[in-house]
Amino acid sequence: MARQCRTFEHTADMGLEARADSLGELFEALGEGLAEVVCSREQVASAQRWPLAVSAEDTEALAVDFLSAVLNVIQTDRFMVRDVVVASAGGNAIVAELRGEPFDPLRHAIAREVKAVTYHQLRIAPEGSQWIGRVVLDV
Amino acid sequence: MAEQFKGKLEQMDANRWRIPRDSCPGMRVEGIIYANDELIGDVISGGGPVQVANVATLPGIVTASLAMPDIHWGYGFCIGGVAATDIEAGGVVSPGGVGYDINCGVRLVRSDIPAEELRPRMKELVDQLFRDLPMGVGIGGPFEFARQEMKRILSEGARYVVSKGLGTSEDLAATESGGCLDDADPEAVSPEAYKRGADQCGTLGSGNHFAEVQYVERVFDAPAAEAMGLKEGCVVFMIHCGSRGLGHQVCQDYIKALRSVPDRYGIRLPDRQLVCAPVKSDPGRQYLGAMRAAANFAWANRQLLVFELRKSLGRFLGRPADSLHLSQVYDVAHNIAKIETHVVAGRGMQLCVHRKGATRAFPPGHEELPAAYRSIGQPVLIPGDMGRASYVLVGTQGAMEQTFGSTCHGAGRVLSREAAIVKARGRRIEAELAAAGVIARAHGRTSLAEEQPAAYKDVEAVVRCVVDAGLSRKVARLRPMGVIKG
Repeated sequence: MARQCRTFEHTADMGLEARADSLGELFEALGEGLAEVVCSREQVASAQRWPLAVSAEDTEALAVDFLSAVLNVIQTDRFMVRDVVVASAGGNAIVAELRGEPFDPLRHAIAREVKAVTYHQLRIAPEGSQWIGRVVLDV
Repeated sequence: MAEQFKGKLEQMDANRWRIPRDSCPGMRVEGIIYANDELIGDVISGGGPVQVANVATLPGIVTASLAMPDIHWGYGFCIGGVAATDIEAGGVVSPGGVGYDINCGVRLVRSDIPAEELRPRMKELVDQLFRDLPMGVGIGGPFEFARQEMKRILSEGARYVVSKGLGTSEDLAATESGGCLDDADPEAVSPEAYKRGADQCGTLGSGNHFAEVQYVERVFDAPAAEAMGLKEGCVVFMIHCGSRGLGHQVCQDYIKALRSVPDRYGIRLPDRQLVCAPVKSDPGRQYLGAMRAAANFAWANRQLLVFELRKSLGRFLGRPADSLHLSQVYDVAHNIAKIETHVVAGRGMQLCVHRKGATRAFPPGHEELPAAYRSIGQPVLIPGDMGRASYVLVGTQGAMEQTFGSTCHGAGRVLSREAAIVKARGRRIEAELAAAGVIARAHGRTSLAEEQPAAYKDVEAVVRCVVDAGLSRKVARLRPMGVIKG
């Protein structure tokens, strides 16, 4: 089954909910879902690569740290992301590559500023044969 | 979606509800939620009480875990949450008790300009302010500070901006904490936070941040209004914003940095967003140093925005800004942690007071108040939604006795952003506001829909509750005329 990610509503903020066949694909889905919240991925060309390696003390902390790192690349380093490709995910560590391009105000409409990735009602867990992920973003 | 509270909730009186200490495991004190009959339904269904009970488990917490009547769920602490910890008894500081937008707050500037003089030109004025005030997502401002200057901003806050001629000493006197928290530590702020905030000092941001042209519709307390320079029928200007990306990053950094600390001190947390450290510990001191730096950034931010606002008004009215008597009424922080002395069980104690979506409300006579307000109490600025009203209140002795000198901060959301956008379909919010006499412009495509009046509680009910509970007194009601949003 192809990985999928959708947003869900939350009173002041926004959530991402994803489902995938593996942990790595789950992080790909959540990373791309986060990128989509900031700037539509359709507007972004997959022209350059940005490597990312993150480790944490457990899977949920890893999710927050990984997505926070993706957010920093987008909002602080101004590198718009189209695709997230995970090379390895496991043992509370992830190695990935963000594919996209530098921010171009003529082509990239910033839809929303995300303040932070939170731990609120955070869930990263296996469910049956799949992995599910749920993350709330402070916007 | 909100976690339903399954513990006990007992009504204490017309404006307060208690969560008894034995209601949930680990509670060290009781919880007290300020809410009246109009508000309690939304409170119970909103997930806030769960967080009030969670905060009651924090080490060193004294008296009660409190929530103001604009309560809604947040990250760790609810919005509207107030909690004080005993520093000498190992009391903790928690980034979740301050929030991601460190020192989000409100500033109010008064004028002698009659509202009816500006009303016919309100669209022009809103357009002018929309051009002149930097705002919106992904948009930096005209001020970009090099690293050394940023360090001075983080150390000195609004004082640094005023030292550059972009404000007055009167502005500083009319700002909570003089626009600067001492013992800020710019070295405790990460390179990512510096980078994120580099071109954002002097920018409004987006979301629920705004600049508004309002008028004083009604004065309730004439001596207090006179002390503040508020005149019925005259225009005032309100700005609501915070520490922008720098503050958000500081909070994110320290929630991560403190993750392992509770285990080291044997602290069990019901919610990971409540990560904390004893105030008197290295990690606690580092967070406080960084938080103060971010708070100072926010005060510098609001000082620069008011500088730009005054210039813009001068251009619009064709007169020098200095001649317009646009003096500052006050500036309050509503996401902050401060070390304060309060009387608990008859004894003065040094406490770490967290106010998250809550405003300091010190009473008449308090030594921290500027001379102009010593007899009336600290001004409290309560923004409502963009269609209805905002309020100016003053702090009271009742707040000192009940809530560590704290009161509400605004109206509180009732609709999610998505629900607000759905509710706006087929409608033109801008036209609806204009029909109600409010000219609004927003940068973001969905900003007005997300921030429409129906997305918020009625601030009247919130203000009524804090006034009836004795936490604040009404000074004036303000009505919007022009709204500028990111």
